[in-house]
Order: sequence, then C-alpha cells, then structure tokens
Amino acid sequence: MEILNELSLSLQKGNIKAVQELVQQAIDGGIEPRTILDEGLLAGMSVVGEKFKKNEVYVPQVLIAARAMSIGAGMLKPLLADGDATAAGKVCIGTVKGDQHDIGKNLVKMMLEGKGLEVIDLGVNVEPERFVQVAKDEGCQIICMSALLTTTMSVMEDVVKAAEAAGIRDQVKIMVGGAPVTNAYCEKIGADVYTADAASAADAALELLANQ
Amino acid sequence: MASLILHTPRGDTAFSVEEGALLADVLLAHGHPTDRPCGGIGRCGKCRVRATGALSALTDGERTCLSAEDLARSVRLACCTRVLGDVQVWMDGAVSHQIRTDGIAREVEPDPLFSALGAAVDIGTTTLAAQLYDTQGRQATAAAPNSQGRYGADVISRIGRALEGEAAALAACIREDVSRLLTELCRRAGRRVEDIDALVITGNTAMLYLLTGESVAPLAAAPFRIEERYGRTVTAGELGLCCRSDVPVYLPRCMAAFVGADITTAQLASGLCDTDATSLLADIGTNGELTLWHKGALTVCSTAAGPAFEAANLSCGMQGVDGAIDRVWIEEGRLCIHTIGDRPAAGICGSGVADLVACLLRQGRLDETGYLEEEQVTLAPGVTFTQEDVRQVQLAKSAIRSGIETLLHQHGLSYEQVDRFAIAGGFGSYVSLGSAAAMGLIPPALADRCHSIGNAALAGAAMLLCSRPLLADSVAVADGATSMELATNSYFIEQYMEQMMF
Repeated sequence: MEILNELSLSLQKGNIKAVQELVQQAIDGGIEPRTILDEGLLAGMSVVGEKFKKNEVYVPQVLIAARAMSIGAGMLKPLLADGDATAAGKVCIGTVKGDQHDIGKNLVKMMLEGKGLEVIDLGVNVEPERFVQVAKDEGCQIICMSALLTTTMSVMEDVVKAAEAAGIRDQVKIMVGGAPVTNAYCEKIGADVYTADAASAADAALELLANQ
Repeated sequence: MASLILHTPRGDTAFSVEEGALLADVLLAHGHPTDRPCGGIGRCGKCRVRATGALSALTDGERTCLSAEDLARSVRLACCTRVLGDVQVWMDGAVSHQIRTDGIAREVEPDPLFSALGAAVDIGTTTLAAQLYDTQGRQATAAAPNSQGRYGADVISRIGRALEGEAAALAACIREDVSRLLTELCRRAGRRVEDIDALVITGNTAMLYLLTGESVAPLAAAPFRIEERYGRTVTAGELGLCCRSDVPVYLPRCMAAFVGADITTAQLASGLCDTDATSLLADIGTNGELTLWHKGALTVCSTAAGPAFEAANLSCGMQGVDGAIDRVWIEEGRLCIHTIGDRPAAGICGSGVADLVACLLRQGRLDETGYLEEEQVTLAPGVTFTQEDVRQVQLAKSAIRSGIETLLHQHGLSYEQVDRFAIAGGFGSYVSLGSAAAMGLIPPALADRCHSIGNAALAGAAMLLCSRPLLADSVAVADGATSMELATNSYFIEQYMEQMMF
C-alpha cells in the first residue's frame, strides 16, 4: 500500500511529524493497526537496520528513526487487539556490572524493538543476578548483555554461571556484544550468540526465537 | 631449534628460534617489535609481516584481517603465527618515530629538585618523552615508544592484562623504558646516569600505577575511585630504575582515575590557572582529557575517544613515523598528500586523517551524516580510507567534542565566554586546527582562540623539576579539581549522538 510505503520512508528519514500524520491517516483509512505496524513502521526500521549493517547509515540516523518508530508505535498500541499486541518474544538487556556504557546497549534495544520484540531495559552497571532474576520473573527467552571494557567483559561469564545456578540456562538464550567481545570469547564463556553490530543482534534474536 | 632469516631494509640477519615460538615474540626479542594495538589478539592487523616456511596454519583472525592479495604475498600477522621450523621473514616497516618532546614551559623561579643533574619524564600510553636538566638549563631531550604497546594500545587492555597476572611484566616493561630513556638522555648530553640526582615522572594514572606496582583494580571498573593519588616522592631504587637507588623520584598528583598526573603537569605548564580568564585545556589521545578553568575553579573529565586519532584502528592507519601521510590538502580539485620523511606513503597518521576528513567534507564526497559517496578513497597505492574508517573517526571526534560541550553546558557557558583554548599532546601538536574545526573536533567558533601547547605534560614535569615551590602549587591545582563523570551524564550522552554528525 502506497501510504505504508510512504510511512516506511518517512521513518527511515526520522521525520517524526510525517510519521505521526501518516499513521493517523492510515488509521483513519481503516487499515488494520497490525498491518500499519508491520508494513509501515517495522518495515522502515528493518531497512534502517540493513543500511546500518552495511555502514551506509550511522548511530544518529538509527536513533532518530527509532524515535520516530516509538512515537508511531505508541499511537497504534491502544488500537492493537490483544492477540495482535503480543510481541514476537521477550528480551532483557543491560550493560554488565562495573560498566556504565549506555549507547551500544540502547542501539541493540532499539533494533530489537524494531523487530517487534518486547525489551526490558535493565540499564547499565547491572549485577549478574539481576539479569537472571528478571529473565526468570518476566519469562524472557533471551538475555542480552553488553560490555565496552576488556576489564568488565569477564562479568558476562558470571551471568552465564548465574543462569546455570538458577536452573534457567536451558530456558534462556544468552547474547553478548560490545567492542572487546569476540565470537571466540562468546564460545569460551558458554554464551549462545555474539554479533558484531546492533542490527545483526536483532536478526540473531529473531532466529533464536524462531528455533525455539 | 629452527632457523629464522630476517630481511629488513637495514639488512638481513639470521637467528635460531625455539619451535612453537610466537613470531611477534621472536621479533621483539631480537629488537624488531611489531605494533600490537589490539594486544596481540589478531584483530587489528598492525603486526603484518611477510613470512614463508614452516609456519602455523592461518587463524580465523588472520583470515578476517588479511586480503586475498595479502595472502598471495605471504603476509601473516606476527601475533597469530608460530614458528614450527625454518622460516624467512620480511619486515619493510618504518623505523624512526616522530614524538613531540617540546612543550611551551613558562619561566619559573629557579629552585631545582636536583643539585647536579635531573630528568623529567612523561610516560604516555603510546610514547615516552624526557628532558635532562642541569643548573645551566636543558641539556637533552629524548623520546621512545612505550613498549607496553604489545599488551594493547589502550590503557584498559593493559589494566586487563595486569589484572590477569601480568602486572609485574608490565611494570618491568615501563621501568626498562624509563631506564633506557635516561641512559639515552645522558648519552646525548655526554653525562653519566650516576650523576642524576632527582627525577620527576609524570603520566596518566594507569601508567603511574603500573610503574609503581600499585594494584590497578580500582581503574578496571566503575565507580573508578582511587586511593593512591601520588603527589609524593619515592626512590629510584623502589622503581628499579637505572640511576642511583637513593635518587628521589617525584610523582605529581593525579586528579582522578582517568585524569592523571600528566594533566596536572599540563595544566601547570599551560599557565591557564594563573589568570582569571575562562579557559579550556584538551589533551587529545586515545583517552581525551579535558579541563575547564572558570572563576577560579577547575573541572576535569575524561572521554574515551578510542585510538582513531592515533590511527591505530583505521584500515591504513599508522603512527606518526616515516612514510605516514601527515598532511592532506586540495589542489585543483585533487587531493594532495605529504608524508613524514618524504618517504613513499605507507599509511596515514592522526593529523593526516583530520586533514583528509576536512578535505572530503569540503569536496562533498563525505556528507554530514558521515556517508562516504564512494566505495573508498585512495590516497596512494595501497593506502585507502574506507567507510568504516569514517565511522571510527566519527566516534572519536564525537567523544572529544561532546566532552567539551558538556563541560561548557554544565557551567552555563557559551563559546563567546571562553577566552582561551589550549590543545596539548602529540596529536594536538600536529593536527591543523583548521581541519580540527572543519570536522567539528573542536567547536569552529573557538578556533580563533585555540593554540597548541605541545607536550605540556612533560613541560610541566620539567617545571616541577626546576622549581620546588611549584610542587605545592601543582598539588593544590589537582586537589582543587572537580572530576565530572561523563559516562552517566545525560547531556553528554545526548551530545555524543548529535556530535557524530559532521
């Protein structure tokens, strides 16, 4: 549909005003809210994610697009039927204890939301036990964690161990990322997935959920 | 034992090698260190050599780093390759380093810490610089790369390695570097190391911790609170230095975990705190330190720029050594380059990167979002600048600029209210301020009040060496400083996004 295509393009440009107007027009035109979300907003965000992966756009553009998306999604939320409102999966995300870097983690969060996942943001400097507790209480299928310092990266292993100790390791997938993290490190600590960038993280999360 | 034949521009040598030894270690042991900014984990590709013979198989890291062309030329990463039998290795790298040793030091009331001979040393994360003084004034200067570089280019990697049980090795490394530099100073001045009777050693907090063997654990993770801040004298013997063991070594006061004694001495040398003028000081490196002097109070912060301005994480980045492109300009619509030592271009260093980005922006080949209109920019055969390189520069530039903006914002200051802006450090000395402003590393509105003050950390250390009363002054400056945490500052985070744009 033309209007949804236009909505997707406006979102990619981060034009919040146009996104608001087009979402309203689409609602008034009787298009299903779920369709507006999927084919307008999420489709646009998916293009941004692809471009980000190819380095064609950068962090600021992702952020403004994400801001536009969250405003558009906010307008649709009350209209989505209960069944329609169910997210494709639930993730808790945070930067590990001792590390206060917020930005990379926020990017991943936005990309996950851009794939229609529900994300619980635990913030920065997060204790290993808290990741596990929230995953358990909220029934998250995925724990996502970030570390920007070589010296705090080792806390990721504590999270994996805490998940084991709590007996939920077989129920959650653990994803890791951040500048010093590598695939080899991910394997070494027994986490499930490492990705090099936020858009790939969102793709990987979807794949994990599909295979569950 | 296996044999290794090494070919360098200076000639060929052969030596025997234990089978299984890491090539990078072998080369280092024979006086041919390779750059290891990533700490030897096969990620940065800066330790490339050409090698043939009985070598270990290619690692995943090498497959990622090396192109098909590299592989065809037998290029390997020395940090990933083990010698399994007889091998031949070719190193064509540059040798002479360009390190800033001069700085603008103010006149001081002479009351030296030394009686015959004294030395001031600045331990930088990447390089060391030193000056030798006697009662007649400066007698020699010398500089050398920090050989801890093989444990990682940035302080955090080294802190990590120290905590993994290599603290003693890191300490030994830096102590040898300092000793070698003192010996070199004396050789140049025709003096004897035994005649040195006082030292001042400045450096960032992590470097001083590693030097003195203090546990770096408080520097490894938030909240980064430090107990040991120095501002006191130890002896050369305690540090295992080459001069007489009873020689006093003054370590200037550190301000915070990531604003060290080097900023205290740089601040001293800048003379900015001697006036009522509102002023900024920036030391731009892998870790950028910023200070604001306003109404008699000093606010300091540090911002992790990453090594883009030292070019360590750029595809064709290199240190400021022979063959590095250090200047780029436009002539008749085309990019022109200058290399250090007028050698064939081998890569690009920090000042070249700033010029290049400024030129590409001016030519419209790079847009304000950092999108490069072409696949890559070729500066010379084999020297290119890619989209990924632009992204690294954007991160670094934004970290510094956002720090400046946050300091000003916190004090409600506009650009017009800033009287002076001093830029210290190696990169700050070589970068064209015009390019720095064009790419937005410094606010363009402040460009006319900017001036470079060279290696101010060393200049300040030399001032302390030559004037005892300044010791107390420098401690007072450091103790009066308020440290501002940027990582959790919401204005900084907001700016950090915004300032990624050009």
